[in-house]
Amino acid sequence: MPSHAGTQPTDALITAERLNRVYHRPRTSLTRPGAAVHALRDVSLTVRRGERHGIVGESGSGKSTLLRLLCALDQPTSGSIRFDGQEITGRPERRLRFLRENLQIVFQDPMSSLDPRMRVRDLVAEPLTALGLPVGDRVAELLDAVGLPAEAAGRYPHQFSGGQRQRIAIARALAPRPKVLVADEPVSALDVSVRGQILNLLADLVDELGLTLVFVSHDLSVVRHVCETVSVMRQGEIVEGGLVDDVWAEPAHPYTRELLAAVPTLEGFA
Amino acid sequence: MLSVEGLTVRADATDLVHDVSFAIAPGERVGLIGESGSGKSLTALSLMGLLPEGVTAAGRARLGERDLVGVPESRIKGLRGDELSMVFQEPMTALNPLMRIGAQVTEVMTLHGRSRQEARARSAELLERVRLPEPAQIARAYPHQLSGGQRQRVMLAIALANEPRLLICDEPTTALDVTVQKQMLELIAEVAPALLFITHDLAVVASVCERVLVMYGGRVVESGPIREVFTRPRHRYTQGLLAASKLTPRGTRLPVIEGGVPAAGRFPGGCVFRNRCPHATPECETPPALTGDGHAFACWHPAD
Repeated sequence: MPSHAGTQPTDALITAERLNRVYHRPRTSLTRPGAAVHALRDVSLTVRRGERHGIVGESGSGKSTLLRLLCALDQPTSGSIRFDGQEITGRPERRLRFLRENLQIVFQDPMSSLDPRMRVRDLVAEPLTALGLPVGDRVAELLDAVGLPAEAAGRYPHQFSGGQRQRIAIARALAPRPKVLVADEPVSALDVSVRGQILNLLADLVDELGLTLVFVSHDLSVVRHVCETVSVMRQGEIVEGGLVDDVWAEPAHPYTRELLAAVPTLEGFA
Repeated sequence: MLSVEGLTVRADATDLVHDVSFAIAPGERVGLIGESGSGKSLTALSLMGLLPEGVTAAGRARLGERDLVGVPESRIKGLRGDELSMVFQEPMTALNPLMRIGAQVTEVMTLHGRSRQEARARSAELLERVRLPEPAQIARAYPHQLSGGQRQRVMLAIALANEPRLLICDEPTTALDVTVQKQMLELIAEVAPALLFITHDLAVVASVCERVLVMYGGRVVESGPIREVFTRPRHRYTQGLLAASKLTPRGTRLPVIEGGVPAAGRFPGGCVFRNRCPHATPECETPPALTGDGHAFACWHPAD
């Protein structure tokens, strides 16, 4: 199911068509193969240039599998993904340079995504050195952009709070000047009082740098604040997609309605 | 029924929880909210006599006529899992992976003096009470064969086994999906004899509890009936936390509390929130007392 009608192919930046991903469980019998798990079933998705697209689902919905495929960290069993017109499935890593330069990821837990033995300077510069790009003054520039002091460069990740670490992860992701930022539950591990700071920062950077954002979350209300469009996933399928405001106001699929009803809110407390 | 007075939890020379007082009546559901490092879990662990090595509690906490703080482990052991019990955040680490579910539910009853036969019969009832489908089958299963939500229901069955007077839940639904969380919250609210519910999620606490204690920097900074505290917060921290919890429409700035939660022992003297508070004045260098009847707050410059 296409995520939203009326998408013009010319401004499509990421086009995924009929993606399937089947995992095999380890075999439990000598004579029979392990059970197959359909992590994704015929998922199609288009993200346009400059769009902020949210992917919402619970554990086991396939959102992480889809994300891994979009970032070419895993290969689909069948289907195709085009990034800026180029097919990315089936390519060896050495032919994915255009993707690595243009698409960067911010993970959920900055404690496990930042190497504890590297200084912030090297962490932020690593995507550049890995791609053979000049570092120059880029680290200072990036730290400033994410609201960290210049002297942060000489320190280690453990010397920062959760919110500051997520700022470091964002600076690192922005280093090679990507077109697309993929954020996988970037605020789920943060305290409420810090969450707003990171969401505001992401919104500012996406605006200023004209980024395309793919934002994965289990929380539809966070997606509603950040994104224009959304895909709701369940059991490996996109069950509903479209403009966030439409989905929020009038969820068409019973699962989306259930999801919306289940989220505890502070509404009623003015 | 539970009364806590001047509870202080200390590691070396650092106060991690400072002078916390509250009470819970039978049948009452009280929420304890705060961000990481606020001292909410330590408060609960000190009531359970489960503080980590090197961390000590002082002050007074009584469940009915029985003291919980400053008594030897041998005395607490008889109460824990019997008169008061606790459900933890991570059901995978709280359950023994090598024991069948049924045996883990009966164990807590035989440990507190019930006959094996009686415990076994009751464990089937308990699994049914927490609305596990096919309780007989679940009793024979191992923890890894259950989903996260099912495991947490088993934890609740174990906690309820000896009909405790007080149930403590520490972030019981944080690791669960929202649709599963909703069922679990409804179940907890229904079965808890009296509840101390710990969470960082204000919306969750609003759906379960009647009264709330807001902790920050190891202190209770505000307390009162949930409706009052959440509609008319007085402490500037509570006010900021509520504002930050509501997600405004796209394209608008989210209200934030500046800075981050300091590490343990790094909170400022006086009002613990003053280094992040937009209303702080030199007066805030003196610690404000928690004052007020019903709805209490510890702030020199409260919101209207």
